[in-house]
Amino acid sequence: MTTARAAAAAILALALAASLYGLPLLSVAANRLALGTPAFGAAAGGGHVHAVAGLGLAGLALFAAAPGRVGAALALPIFGAAVLLLAAGLGAGATALLDGRPTAARASVGSGGWCAVMVLLAAAGWSVRAFRMPGFGAIAIAGLAAGLTTLARSGTLDHLSLAVEFRARHAVLGEAIVQHLVLAGGALVLACLCAVTMSLWRRGQGLVEVVVSGIQVVPAVALFGALVGAFSAVLSAVPSLREAGLSALGPGPAILGIAAYLLLPLWRGLAAGLGGTPATLVDTAEAVGLGRRQVLLSVRLPLGAPVLVGALRVAAVQSLGLATLGALVGAGGLGRIVFDGMAQFAPDLILLGALPIVGLSLAADAGLGAAEAMARRRSHS
Amino acid sequence: MSVGKAGGSALAGAVLAAASLPGVAGSLVAAFGQPALRPVSLDRLVDLGASHVSIAAGGLAVMAILGVGLGVLATRAGALAWRGEIDRVAAFAQAVPPVVVVALALPVLGFGGPPTLLALVAYGIMPVLRGTIGAIEGVPTDAREAGRAIGLSDLQVLRQVELPLAAPGILDALRTGLVLAVATAAVGALAGAATLGTPIVAGLQNQNLVPLLQGACATAALAFLCDAAMLAVAGLLRRATRP
Repeated sequence: MTTARAAAAAILALALAASLYGLPLLSVAANRLALGTPAFGAAAGGGHVHAVAGLGLAGLALFAAAPGRVGAALALPIFGAAVLLLAAGLGAGATALLDGRPTAARASVGSGGWCAVMVLLAAAGWSVRAFRMPGFGAIAIAGLAAGLTTLARSGTLDHLSLAVEFRARHAVLGEAIVQHLVLAGGALVLACLCAVTMSLWRRGQGLVEVVVSGIQVVPAVALFGALVGAFSAVLSAVPSLREAGLSALGPGPAILGIAAYLLLPLWRGLAAGLGGTPATLVDTAEAVGLGRRQVLLSVRLPLGAPVLVGALRVAAVQSLGLATLGALVGAGGLGRIVFDGMAQFAPDLILLGALPIVGLSLAADAGLGAAEAMARRRSHS
Repeated sequence: MSVGKAGGSALAGAVLAAASLPGVAGSLVAAFGQPALRPVSLDRLVDLGASHVSIAAGGLAVMAILGVGLGVLATRAGALAWRGEIDRVAAFAQAVPPVVVVALALPVLGFGGPPTLLALVAYGIMPVLRGTIGAIEGVPTDAREAGRAIGLSDLQVLRQVELPLAAPGILDALRTGLVLAVATAAVGALAGAATLGTPIVAGLQNQNLVPLLQGACATAALAFLCDAAMLAVAGLLRRATRP
């Protein structure tokens, strides 16, 4: 175990050094769409770069040398400080590189900068896990977020291209996040209702399985496209629906399309969660006089809760990802920003849309994962 | 069971492929009282399909080499400590939707095939890796020990015991990978790759239902046909290994 830890620490150290000194940390371009010229190492981040490298390597060495929770607890703040220092260095570097250039010029974080951040975050995540305390990860993330917010407030990051895009679009971004959550949440609710209804249909389970697993084979782009076609066909056949506010493009086909893909994990989860109760337990419950409804509510549901929450977790993460494609059929959401960025070939605009999607998915995964673990503990006790 | 499943997928694929033909899609749209404008010609559809297949097949090849290879490495005795990390990376990779991978790869790799290929490898490799690990771990310990007892080396145990017994599971993981690859290649149309997703995107932009329907049916048909082909291969393999 300790050799594996040392090996992993060595790999992360190499990756950190390579990204800080071998790959471009920043890229400076004449405007937001032009190709940039890369800036490496100290030329991009000044003395901060050496400090980040030193901190990162020290943290990894400490983590590998001091086994158990002590090393993890000591290394975590070092990794956090390194991330903040790197952000500050890149911000200061961007300010210095753009000094004296026209306002249209942009400095964006290059591949080296992103890789270094990823390596440091991976190291931080690793030490959080090694510390083995529930809730510790949330505290670490809150601390890092507070640090980054303070940096952003102080104006240090203002000249990074991502911050410029954010300032230009923060109203749109907020709206897009809300739309994204509505699409994903609406689809999740719809899919839950359908999955429950389908699992009540006892005799049709074979057919249900063929249909819900068949849907998984259909590529999402194709299903969304076909739904737009189907919606417009129905609307032209029944024009009064159009007056009721339905339209072929928009949230309608998107929510329906997303929900279709969530049926399989939810339906399977329901079958495994509620059907997996040991028969002896059900018999005992019936023997003491519980009705079918009571058996469901007080035996099957509590015992199956971990599996059910697990299925919900898979579905929620999928839903947030698929909602990105909603923009393709005019439903808005964060995908809109991503697609705008693709259409303009503006990398930072793509990132502005993509980072919240990844963040929301990871948050949903972590949140429902914690709920799943809690349900598991409760059902075992 | 698997023959029935393969047949079902093949049938669904054939019906959808027929629906994507210019004449059929045009009359379908016309039947609903919508204008049947500018269908995609059969030649163009076949070209797009061929390019779609080549992107998906390239992705599958990389997924198979990397995913199965890493899966074999991860199940060796020395790699036990890394298993948790692999699962964690897999969970993270799944949290990033393929559209986002395509979008993020776009500035680095430019328009067209390369970002799409990267996205489908990045998205598909983890299910294949996980499936391979699961399949090899599912090989009964008795079988492994029997192999060692008759004097096979570790490599021989892998080649003659573990891989043949794990083959159905690995093929199943590759089938998932191929279906993901076909779906992600369709998303690649957004990055300018010429795939069957192209008429869908064009149809949505021009509000023209015929290419939209053709692209959607053809993409879904391709996915079902690939699924059927992999199921058929798995069925043949099962029959060949069963004495």
